[in-house]
Amino acid sequence: MGASAALDCDAELMLRVKDGDGESFALLLGKHRASVTHFLYRMVQDRAVSEELAQEAFLRVYRSRETYEPTARFTTWLFRIATHLALNWLRDQKNERGQERLDETASDARTFEVADRAPSVEQRMLSEAKLDEVRRAVAALPDKQRAAVLMHKYEEMEYSQIAKVLSCSESAVKSLLFRAYETLRVRLAHMA
Amino acid sequence: MDCPIKMRQNWEWLLDYAAGRLDRERAALVARHLDGCPDCARFVEGQRMVWNALSQWEAEPLSADFDRRLYRAIDRARPVSWLDRVFAPLQPLWRPAVPLAAACVLIVAGLLLHAPQAVMRSVDSRPRAEKVEVEQVERTLDDIEMLRELPLTPQQEASPSKSM
Repeated sequence: MGASAALDCDAELMLRVKDGDGESFALLLGKHRASVTHFLYRMVQDRAVSEELAQEAFLRVYRSRETYEPTARFTTWLFRIATHLALNWLRDQKNERGQERLDETASDARTFEVADRAPSVEQRMLSEAKLDEVRRAVAALPDKQRAAVLMHKYEEMEYSQIAKVLSCSESAVKSLLFRAYETLRVRLAHMA
Repeated sequence: MDCPIKMRQNWEWLLDYAAGRLDRERAALVARHLDGCPDCARFVEGQRMVWNALSQWEAEPLSADFDRRLYRAIDRARPVSWLDRVFAPLQPLWRPAVPLAAACVLIVAGLLLHAPQAVMRSVDSRPRAEKVEVEQVERTLDDIEMLRELPLTPQQEASPSKSM
């Protein structure tokens, strides 16, 4: 019910954008800016790159406004664009530098992401180390599995929607998720 | 309920159960199954651990200028009219002249605003000077007359008697 209401609302806003309403685009941007950027950040594990890719995704949405047809959920379309951009970026990076880049960005992000929430230095270091392991475990997943996990865990997408975003069947998504979580269970088993 | 792991069916129920996303009816079914199936119980336990570990990874705040950069990119991506395309190569020529032209306009405007007053002042200044001169002359004449009417000082009065 809530999802269908959200569908109508976003699609309606996008149709207004199609009619030249800039305010509606600003509303859509405000609503989905954070989730798209966070998804991309967890995909590429580089803050600057994730923002660049998110901007490109919204730019593509804006450019495609005239041909937009509400055949699917707006978020499905938006995340399909974002996922496509992220997978392309990851592929290019692998071609250029291999896995080296991911390790570098993971360590860069680690220093950036240390929050002063932990009361003591020890606790902070511990949570930092745990977080680093989580990041590395996610980064080590194959790209499609990673995208599926991130959409399932953080975006709370249904299997059918993830399938549409990744352009595959629902059973393929379940299979991707099963394998991905199995890998994560093994890699993060010591954190239990 | 058949074992999702053994039957390789509905195993996502275990995933959603661990995440707390399963509806109440199915959750009750899974809970009953877990009581008698150690494999599935282990799976759910492991999945909960993964879920909690992933939850620690919080999202980064976005840059404050995210929207500004996006709208700038949108502006850059806007189609350009043929008129702009024609005049675009000339832009480097006339662009530096804009501040100069603006400065000239300001100077001219300033002159126009101040010129009438200057003219008025020059017109007013002559009669005023004449008026001042006439007053001064009159005052001087009055002073001379007053001096004439003044009684002579005692010295002046005494001197004629001495001479007499």
